[in-house]
Formats: sequence, C-alpha cells, structure tokens
Amino acid sequence: MSWFSFHFSDFALSFLAIIFEGIPFLLLGSLVSGAVEAFVPGEMITRWLPKNYTAAIIVSALMGLVIPMCECGSVVEIRRLIRKGLPLPCAITYMMGAPIVSPVVALSTFAAFRGQNPLEMTVLRLVFGFLIAVGVGLAVRDIPEEKLLQPAMLESLPGKRRTGLSMAVPGGDGEAGFGAEGVRGKLFRTVQSATSDFLDVTFFFVVGASIAATFNTAVNQALLAPIATNPALSVMAMMVLAFALALCSSTDAFIAVSFQMFPPAAKLAFLVFGPVFDTKLFFLYGAVFRRWFVMSLAIGLFIVIALVCNHLGLILNNT
Amino acid sequence: MTSLFNRWLPGVTLLVWSGVLLTFYATRRLGSFIVPAFHTNVLVAGLVMLLMAGCFLLLPGVASCCDDERCGHPLGRRRGGRILTFLILILPVAAAATFTPRSFDASTVGSRGVVTDVSGMMSRLTRPKLAGPAAAAQSAPADDPANPPLPTHDGSPAASTATAQSTPADTSADDYLPKSKDGNIQVQVIDLLYAAQDTSMRADFDGKTVETIGQLMPDDSHNAGGNRFKLMRMFMYCCAADAKPIATLVEAPAAPSAPEMAWVKVVGKVEFPIEGGRTIPVLKATKVEVTDPPADTMLY
Repeated sequence: MSWFSFHFSDFALSFLAIIFEGIPFLLLGSLVSGAVEAFVPGEMITRWLPKNYTAAIIVSALMGLVIPMCECGSVVEIRRLIRKGLPLPCAITYMMGAPIVSPVVALSTFAAFRGQNPLEMTVLRLVFGFLIAVGVGLAVRDIPEEKLLQPAMLESLPGKRRTGLSMAVPGGDGEAGFGAEGVRGKLFRTVQSATSDFLDVTFFFVVGASIAATFNTAVNQALLAPIATNPALSVMAMMVLAFALALCSSTDAFIAVSFQMFPPAAKLAFLVFGPVFDTKLFFLYGAVFRRWFVMSLAIGLFIVIALVCNHLGLILNNT
Repeated sequence: MTSLFNRWLPGVTLLVWSGVLLTFYATRRLGSFIVPAFHTNVLVAGLVMLLMAGCFLLLPGVASCCDDERCGHPLGRRRGGRILTFLILILPVAAAATFTPRSFDASTVGSRGVVTDVSGMMSRLTRPKLAGPAAAAQSAPADDPANPPLPTHDGSPAASTATAQSTPADTSADDYLPKSKDGNIQVQVIDLLYAAQDTSMRADFDGKTVETIGQLMPDDSHNAGGNRFKLMRMFMYCCAADAKPIATLVEAPAAPSAPEMAWVKVVGKVEFPIEGGRTIPVLKATKVEVTDPPADTMLY
C-alpha cells in the first residue's frame, strides 16, 4: 500500500464529521466571547483582582472560567484590558490561561475524548494550562512594560501608568459610551462580535479540519508508527502540528482525538501548546508585544510543554 | 461595496452553514458522521446561525464591525481577507456536503488497520449494551445518553437495555436477544468481538444462529479454501474521523461472489476458536447475500 492515497469521498466524510462535531462548540465560544465584550466592562475585571501580586496572577489565570475567550479573542481583549488599567503580568496571564481554563474548552475536550478517559484528559489539560499561565505571569512580573509592549501599544496607554495593582484608570479609549448603550445595542454588538470571531476562527478550523481529514484518510497510518510510538518524537510532532494548524481551543480536541495512533501525552501537548502559541498567535502577539518576547515565549513554551508531556507520557506508560 | 463586505458576505456565509447543518440533521444523515450525543448540538448550532444570518441580512445596523481601526479580527480588516474567508468557509463545506458518501473507501479502511480482536481496545471502548444477563451485569444505567444501545441492522435502536435490566440473570439468552422474523438472533459485529473477550457473553452466542450485516473485505489468514472473508463495520468513538474498522471472520460454504466493500447480510452459527493464541469469533455462514446499507453505516 502506498503512503498517500487521496479519495475525495473519504476526505469529505472525515472532514464533515470533524466540522459537525466541532462547529457547535466554536459557535458557543464565539457567542460567549461576544457577550463578554458587549456586556462586561473592562474596569469590572480590574476590580475583581486581589491586591497581592501573586494572588492576582493566580486569579487572572482562572479568569477564563468566568470570562471565557478563545485565543484570538483573548489577545484582542487584553489590549482593551491593558488600556483599562489591568497590570500587564495579569493581562498576559489571562491571555495565556483563558483559551484553556474555560468552561467551553472543558466541555468540548470532555466531549471529544468520549470513551477515551475524557475526565483525565480534561483535568490534565485545564490544570496544565493554568500552571503554564501562572508560570508565564510570574516570569514577566518584574520585566518593565516598555521592554514587553510594542511602542504603538505603549503610546495608546492613557497617561503614565503606575506599577502596582491599584492602577486602574478611566478608559478614555472610545469606550465611554459602554454604560450608556442599551440592551438592544449590546445584543447587536454581541452578534456582531460573535460573527466576526466565528468567521475568523472558522477559517482556521476549516483549514485544520481539511489537513486532519487528509491525514486521516489519505496517509497510510502504518507509516506513522515510528513517530507515534516514540514518546519524545510523538509529543514534539503533535506540538509542531498544533503550531501549524492554528486551531481554536474550543474545537482543537476534536482534531487531536482523530490522530488515533498518537499517545495521550502527545495529544495533551497538542491541546496545551496550540492554544498558547500557533501561527496565527505569532502574528497576533506581534501586534501587542515586542519580537524578542514573542520568540522567547515560543521557545520557552515549546521546551516546557514538551518536557512535561514527555515525562507525563513515560509515567502513564509505566502505570 | 461596503455593505457587500460588512453585511452580505457574513450573512450569506452563516446562511449556507446553517443550511448544511439543518439539512443533514433533518435528513437524518448525521448518524454516518457523528455519534447521536452530538446531533442536538448540530441542530441548535444550525438554528443559532440562521438567527445570526437573519440579524445580518435583515438588520443592517449590526454589520459594522471591522471598519474600526482597533478591530482585532485579522482576516476581517482587509477586503482580501474577507473574500478569502468567504471562499474558504463556503467552498470546502459545500463540496463535501454535496459529494460525501456514507461510508469509507476500501483503501482508507485498509490504511486504518482492520481490528478482529478488541482486547487491545477494551480500555478505550464503551462497552456495548447487549440485552441479556451479561448486559445486566454491566450495570450501566438504561437511560445513559453517553452510551446508547447499539443499533440494529436497520439502524433502529437495539432492543433493550431496559428489558435486559429487568431480566433475571438465569433467563435463557434466547428469551431476550433480539431476533429477526426468521428467528435468528440479531447481532452487530462489535457484539461478537466483545463476546470473544468475555466468557459470560460468549456463552450467549456460542453455537447459536445469528444474523448480522457488514461490508465484505478479503481475509488473508487461514484462507486456503478462499471461502473466508471479513465482515467489517466502522466503529466510531466520537465521529467518523476517529472511526476504526472492526471485523468478524466469516467462513462461507463457497467463496463470496459480492465485490469488496459490498454490504452483505450473513446468517450463520457463531464459534469462538483460538487462533494465534487469541480467542476470536468466526461465523460459519449458511447464507451470505448482498443487502442495502443500514440507515446508520457506523456503529457507536
């Protein structure tokens, strides 16, 4: 049997299956993000944070449970939150945590891994995502924001910001009418924002589902055995794939689970690395942060997630 | 031009997607793609998209996002990006929805590796709910939505988990296993594979005449007479993308005349010989005939 044999009918069956399974969760995520954008003022978030810096970072990593955002949405959201006065380390922690530590992601991961230890995979994903977010937040805590943010982003901040947690400042960025907007207007904004998010992210989901369906139906799975059965190689291969596919965290579990030959640890690496760093995030991060920080984030996250998942894989194999 | 990009492209995209989701739901074709637990999600998503499309197409005030400099939607900011998004979102889905079949081609099935022994998959599988004492012993709740009973060959739900749970453990298997009008026990391929791994379930089928359907695939093992073949079904955990081909072996009186991947109905006696150190199910067929595909081509 040759290594590649493409049949459109098989591709279509697999492709539509992934789409049908994932699209409701993507839509749910978009609607929740849209509602948060329309109904939750940025100042409210800064008011929730504890005064203690470490506690504030931990709370920021959990904020996705209350304010769920997909990764694209969270990058956009932190621009708004930083302008609203959210401390930068907390904003970065939220940006890293929200795409994983979220009820929508928990639901979709549990659903996708149905029959394959769904609770174990969901808990591991959320806990690992939380730890990654807190780790990044603590790592950037003492770095001046001038070294992290793009000059254009710095200039857009309203006045000289103070360090510390009581730094929330009035908006002044065009959102003054937020409170004055009626419920009807906010509903319109919810639909508007949800649709834009949905169309943007579905673009990547369709591309990802196409690649996954091709991989599933056209590539001879037996040839993948050397990679899939090697713990270290399988983890790194799935992380590279997560980077390339640039999927939304609310649907990536449906893609991950379709790579049947790969072990759970490799799928976990895919599910943790993808939401915090992929091709589209590389560009989105670049619009907010300086290049050195984006590159450091990529390398640091890759190494840490690969090492942890590889170690986890060895533990799981020995139990 | 602005209204085309802000209003019509998103509205039409949502409308097309909604149409695809609702059509597949209404025509009951979803069973070939995803497990029943997800069907309602598709219906709700289709209806919500229809509503959103209506907002865009009927309420022009909604469609003004992405004109803002600060808009965070990378593809929505540029006209080229919006056209590209529109094409990528419409074309693959429309093509796949138009030309998709209900089952996989032989090469894809072969590439995934046909499983005839589920011992290696036991930890991943949700155990099937058979009617009978063996099923009652499985102790899964009758109305567990995550574990629907296996469908019968015509796609309707199998008889009875509820019946099974009210059946005394010492009742004869013949009393509770669903039967065809010819009196044959109706089973699915997965039932036989499970039975091979479970002594109590094996006793329910060993030596009994059963009737089952599946797709015909050649078998190269112990097949000197050429009359042995695999009866294959795709078993999905979640969706067709993760479906795994599973098969029971069939020994027919003569080499099968049906082409590879044809849907056939097999009637025969079940045996559980040990081959290669493994207990496997073999159907000693008395009748093999070509049949129509079932409503749900996948098992779950």
